[in-house]
Amino acid sequence: MQRNFNALRSLTIASIKMYFRNTAALFFTMFVPIAFIGVFGLLSKSEGIKLTLDITNQSNSVLSRNIVEAIKNVKTFQVSETSQQDAADKLSKGKLDLQVIIPEDFGQVGQDGKILPNHIHALYNSAKPQNGQTANLIIEQIISRTNAQIAGTPQLIVLEPAGVQTKNLGSIDFLLPGILAISIMQLGIFSVAFAFVSLKTTGALRRLQATPTHPFNFIIAQAVTRLIVGVLQVVILTGLGIWLFGFHLNGNPIEFLFVALMGVLLFLAFGFTVAGYAKDENSAAPIANLITFPMLFLSGTFFPRDAFPSWLTAITDYFPLTFLADALRRIANEGVHLIALGTDLLGMLVWGIIMFFVAVRVFRWE
Amino acid sequence: MLLEVKNLHKTYADGFQAVKGVSFAVKKGEVFGILGPNGAGKTTTLEMIEGLRSISSGSVVLDGLDVQKNPYAVKERIGIQLQSSSFFTNLNLIELLKLFNDLYHESSDPMTLLQEVGLEEKAQSRVKELSGGQKQRFSIATTLVNNPVAIFLDEPTTGLDPQARRNLWGLVEQIKKKGTTVIMTTHYMEEAEVLCDRVAVMDEGTIIAEGTPGALIKQLLDRGFKPKQKVQAASLEDVFIDLTGKEIRD
Repeated sequence: MQRNFNALRSLTIASIKMYFRNTAALFFTMFVPIAFIGVFGLLSKSEGIKLTLDITNQSNSVLSRNIVEAIKNVKTFQVSETSQQDAADKLSKGKLDLQVIIPEDFGQVGQDGKILPNHIHALYNSAKPQNGQTANLIIEQIISRTNAQIAGTPQLIVLEPAGVQTKNLGSIDFLLPGILAISIMQLGIFSVAFAFVSLKTTGALRRLQATPTHPFNFIIAQAVTRLIVGVLQVVILTGLGIWLFGFHLNGNPIEFLFVALMGVLLFLAFGFTVAGYAKDENSAAPIANLITFPMLFLSGTFFPRDAFPSWLTAITDYFPLTFLADALRRIANEGVHLIALGTDLLGMLVWGIIMFFVAVRVFRWE
Repeated sequence: MLLEVKNLHKTYADGFQAVKGVSFAVKKGEVFGILGPNGAGKTTTLEMIEGLRSISSGSVVLDGLDVQKNPYAVKERIGIQLQSSSFFTNLNLIELLKLFNDLYHESSDPMTLLQEVGLEEKAQSRVKELSGGQKQRFSIATTLVNNPVAIFLDEPTTGLDPQARRNLWGLVEQIKKKGTTVIMTTHYMEEAEVLCDRVAVMDEGTIIAEGTPGALIKQLLDRGFKPKQKVQAASLEDVFIDLTGKEIRD
């Protein structure tokens, strides 16, 4: 027992050294996911929609200045003030959502001391009608409020907005669990399949079989190495996400890690199926790609599956990566506990058990 | 007898008979050579003896142990050098020997093993940085971690230059001197003549001749054999070694 433990420990240390000295493996399992998080994180960090509008105020009445001030105070507007000609030019080039023109005689007071009726012109780009109309609605509201004030009519209906404290989830909160799930899948399948198959083709595995240590110990050593790399992936990617891009891990970090490691084991079963079945690298690559490629895009990792036709949703519901990504996302986003993730965990467990038996069945040492 | 092989057969799943009834015995401390052309069944025979390949029929008893019944106990007593001599990547020689120590449940000193095969300067190198001859010598070092009663060398000098080959012969003689039994395969007859106490010639899965190199040569001459060419006192290889020296060029 002790002797076998020493052999297993030694094989595990050797596997870890082999892994961390293999720059290609490190690149794909550590650097690529970090780069993904970085790129998507930066893209999603930019603030929400801004509507660009330009105001040409030709009047110098108090009223017109008040309206311009009110428009400038709207947070969704990015307001510039230029000449009518320049603004029209920008509008035609699509650089502007709305052009507002306040005419020279706006806000003039008539002989009776009252303000004369007038118009404010608003021109929008008919190629981007949504933006123009949204801006129009906001301005219309400002104008009608001003009208009411001038006319002195009481406001009968008042909308009372109130800010509500939310979990304030951004797109990084959707993306990070997805990218993490993909990294775990790649770690389990590619890093095992290629490392193992290359040892198989060179004959290094055969040399292992020539020793009195059962080669199954090497499979355990390889799996332990991937679990360690998996922990590093979770800690580094999640840490960077929280630190740099405002990712929210609302759930329990230990449960999050637990689900991730369950994912590593699940995909290791796939990885060893490929590694055990393939004769050489040339046959391992297409099999590994065939398994991972559909999941990469259809498991709700990069974008939600909401837009899928219902039959595709029904199929992709059962993808192992869907279960993993969903479980990670719900722990992070909704802060749920494992007990609420029954379907996902059961799905992963069933896939894991199936693939374990397939791996045992198709495994070849040479 | 250290090794007794009786009526060994190997039939593959596709019906191909690689080995068809091989029997021989090796005494303790002997260097025994299995000669034969490619595809004669040398490697398959060796792998069945080593417990690396299942035996279709026949028996192998090594150091009193039935290989089929005790493959792991046999592997603990022997050292195996495979034809491919590949190892785990990204580990240096010392790390690999330490790993083999644990795989064999042994605690040999890696540096001593490297000195034995003349690779102490390469201790921190990786296998891919070694020359062909160095790779083979390292491969032999890995067979020695468990102080084996017998080592198996499968074509240890194939692809080596004359200097490296001679160097390896020296190593095999050194191992023999320590009393370790050596069972090896080779394509090179002069190698078998230099190293082997006895040889078996294999072809198409059977042993067609067995004996000491001297006895086999005498049998041939007794049958009235005349060499096509008058045997010269030196060979071209002797010329080559004389010109380029015995110094190894790794």
